[in-house]
Amino acid sequence: MTECDDVLSQLLLGRALDADAAAHVSACPHCTAEQGRVRRVAALLASDDVPPVPPALSARVLRLAAPLLARQARRAAWWTLARALAAALVPLPLILFLDFHLVRTAYGVLNVLLPGAVSFYVAFNYAATLALLLALTYGMIPIVAERQMRLRREECRA
Amino acid sequence: MATDEDLMTAVASGDGRALAELCGRYERGLHRFIFRHTGGRDVDDLYQETWLRVVRAARRFDRRRRFSTWLFQIAVNLCRDWHRRPPPEPVDPASFEDSRAGPSGTADASLDARRLLAALPEAQRSVVILRYYHDLGEDEVAEIVGCPKGTVKSRLHHAMARLARLARQ
Repeated sequence: MTECDDVLSQLLLGRALDADAAAHVSACPHCTAEQGRVRRVAALLASDDVPPVPPALSARVLRLAAPLLARQARRAAWWTLARALAAALVPLPLILFLDFHLVRTAYGVLNVLLPGAVSFYVAFNYAATLALLLALTYGMIPIVAERQMRLRREECRA
Repeated sequence: MATDEDLMTAVASGDGRALAELCGRYERGLHRFIFRHTGGRDVDDLYQETWLRVVRAARRFDRRRRFSTWLFQIAVNLCRDWHRRPPPEPVDPASFEDSRAGPSGTADASLDARRLLAALPEAQRSVVILRYYHDLGEDEVAEIVGCPKGTVKSRLHHAMARLARLARQ
């Protein structure tokens, strides 16, 4: 690319020439000869008249994209849920291990203080409560994941 | 206001309103680009296919890139494929006359501009349209058409020489 090309490109793009470029045009016989033609081309290109976008075109695009978007929404929902479940399952063995030992220790202590049947009843209730809490926590994961996805989508749009 | 890239993230999770917003932002520019590239033929189909490709590839969109560059890249590829197709049926001259006779009264000049653009090879035409009509920088044009910046410059130069020759005739 020569300086001539740069200057003529500027003319084609309809840009104002700086002092150096203007000096080049007046000093360079090639550019002096070409500038009229380039300006004519630029004027012709500038006169291009493109019809407006048909009003129904974007609506048609959105209608055709709807099934694709629905499939993506389903895929995104499954993906978010899978990730949330995977993250939640990581500490599960530790939670079960700790709960099991907690219940066993509590049963051992209660067995010393109370009659066997009563201590079994209390320990069983304790274990059932822990299991219920755990089930509720894990049952909430899909709801929380869905809500998080909706919030993220709204954040993106905002 | 949400950026284009944020909206693309929403589109990737199936958000139709985000797609509508993006369509609204780029409707005019993209339609004009395709119109100039194909000389006004199959514009609606190519426009529609561009957006459908955007939706299909939304999950693969790299948020570090500019959405507009990616969008025009898709459009350029589609136009390139379109030009490789066998030539279509001849256009009815009467309908062509009707379509170009706009209220601005610039139909003849417009036809000249269209003829000038049509006379350029596809690669040069993309560069001229993106540089001249969309006022994109050489770096962005290079990314869109998938070639080095120097090639963009040389294509513009060759296009200019060709256009100047044609304008002389």
